[in-house]
Amino acid sequence: MLRLRGITEQRLDHIVADYQKANLAPATRAVLRFTLKLVASDLSISREDMREASSEGLTDESLLEAILTAALSGLLCMLSTGVGAVPDFALHSIPPPEHFLTVPGDESPATDEKSGFNLYAPELNAGDFAPFVFFREQFSSVPSVFLAQTRRPDILEAEAHAIRALLVAGDHLSRTQKERLLLAGEHSKADLGASDGALLNFTKKLSVDAEEFSISDIQALRERGFTEHQILEAVATRALACFFNVLQAGLGSTPDFGARWTCKPAELKTVAKKAHLSASDQRHTGIIRPVDPDGECVARVQRGDLDAFEELMNRHSQRVYRTLVGILGDQDDARDAMQDTFLKVFQHLARFEGRSKFSTWLVSIATNTGIQRLREQRPMESLDETGSDEEGFRPRQVQAWTDDPEQLYSEAEMRSLIESGLMKLPAKYRVVVMLRDIEQLSAEDAAVVLGLGIPALKARLLRGRLMLREALAPRFISSGRKGSMKGAII
Amino acid sequence: MAEIGNYLEGEVAEDVRLQLEHHLSHCQTCTVLVDSTRKTLKIVTDTGAFDLPDATFRPIAERIMTRVRSEGK
Repeated sequence: MLRLRGITEQRLDHIVADYQKANLAPATRAVLRFTLKLVASDLSISREDMREASSEGLTDESLLEAILTAALSGLLCMLSTGVGAVPDFALHSIPPPEHFLTVPGDESPATDEKSGFNLYAPELNAGDFAPFVFFREQFSSVPSVFLAQTRRPDILEAEAHAIRALLVAGDHLSRTQKERLLLAGEHSKADLGASDGALLNFTKKLSVDAEEFSISDIQALRERGFTEHQILEAVATRALACFFNVLQAGLGSTPDFGARWTCKPAELKTVAKKAHLSASDQRHTGIIRPVDPDGECVARVQRGDLDAFEELMNRHSQRVYRTLVGILGDQDDARDAMQDTFLKVFQHLARFEGRSKFSTWLVSIATNTGIQRLREQRPMESLDETGSDEEGFRPRQVQAWTDDPEQLYSEAEMRSLIESGLMKLPAKYRVVVMLRDIEQLSAEDAAVVLGLGIPALKARLLRGRLMLREALAPRFISSGRKGSMKGAII
Repeated sequence: MAEIGNYLEGEVAEDVRLQLEHHLSHCQTCTVLVDSTRKTLKIVTDTGAFDLPDATFRPIAERIMTRVRSEGK
């Protein structure tokens, strides 16, 4: 994070070597000392630590942000360790603070006398506040770690969203399995089958012995039949538990999550490792964002320059149009939907924060507009089905093609052949071919805008290309050469 | 067979590539399949299918900008 703030490597080395002598502003030094104490000392924060931080000018708001940032760091470290992500930066080992302020016998850190939390947390009406309604539905009451963060309703909403995505929507592991991982071994191993016991041991090692965690731990789960998706859900669930674990310690709330395994955020190993989980496109975390070629134009629109919007529209009209033709399979429909798309883009552009490239965001809106229209007009045709991608596809056109098929037809004829072939494909294959092969989106971007994983995207792309090949083959076979595809199943 | 897709993208590990190419060297069926799919890919990429002609796009752009300017006020 300091690198992202423009701190030079030399300055960073200085801070890491001894932050006390790094000429930092007193408040910055106090935040560092407090956060290091939280994560480097078995998650133990005392009343004295809170008092000292306050006396150095740290407000409750900034302490809450420090605790949240430390918790997020723990979550990211555990995710990175679990999936074997290649570190984006060379890593430094940060030494523990020189002195810990814990006073023996004074471990109770209650600064908010009423609630018992370390920081004052104003009461929120649990009946009205959507995240609390959700937590009550999921956990029968609102766990105290959430009650301790009422100063930041926006963060509570994000936490509810993360829990919903992982615990409720994610369906690769069962809810029971994930709750077990989130609550860190509230069951004795005797209650569990061999597979669930192995899963629990896997996440325990990730939590308490991350330095020893390796690809062989992933392999052991694979050999027990766990899929990549299940393993990823297990890693993500434990990382979430680690997040709440740090929060609980910092906020002084009742330990509801992951209390049995104190998970110290492990340092990432400095040696770049091969990713543990299969992902043929190496996804980077986006910590260093590439410069968005549309960024300057987007900023002008956000400042009220409507001509800049027209410029963006001119730049991307082909891409939006092809995305919509890909989904809708009808050029008139695509032109109508294009108007809807650009109007939506304009209406939401003020809130676009540049977390993705503008073009990716734009194609996502076009995709959603197209899908919505497809559902209204042709509810039977869907981009959502996934099963048949894995089933066999039997090529029927078996003859070899001529060496240079592009010489057989004029450009216009060739375009017409391709368009007609693409129109014959089911929408879910057509749109993938359009985005990848015509619009040349990266596999990662295409997967994001279509809401697919990379493997699913690739399966659809291969199927789409093979179906298109099948449709075009009668036009391009060379005379006199025939092969046989009997029995070939793709 | 997913490896065929990765092979077409040039994204297979060296050992898998060697195995596939060994297989292709004596399997006419798969050779036809890979060769014709590769040609399909090249044709699709080169043709620029579904180009939206400027004459078609202009009136659409004007309608959009009329709405944008009225909403932007």
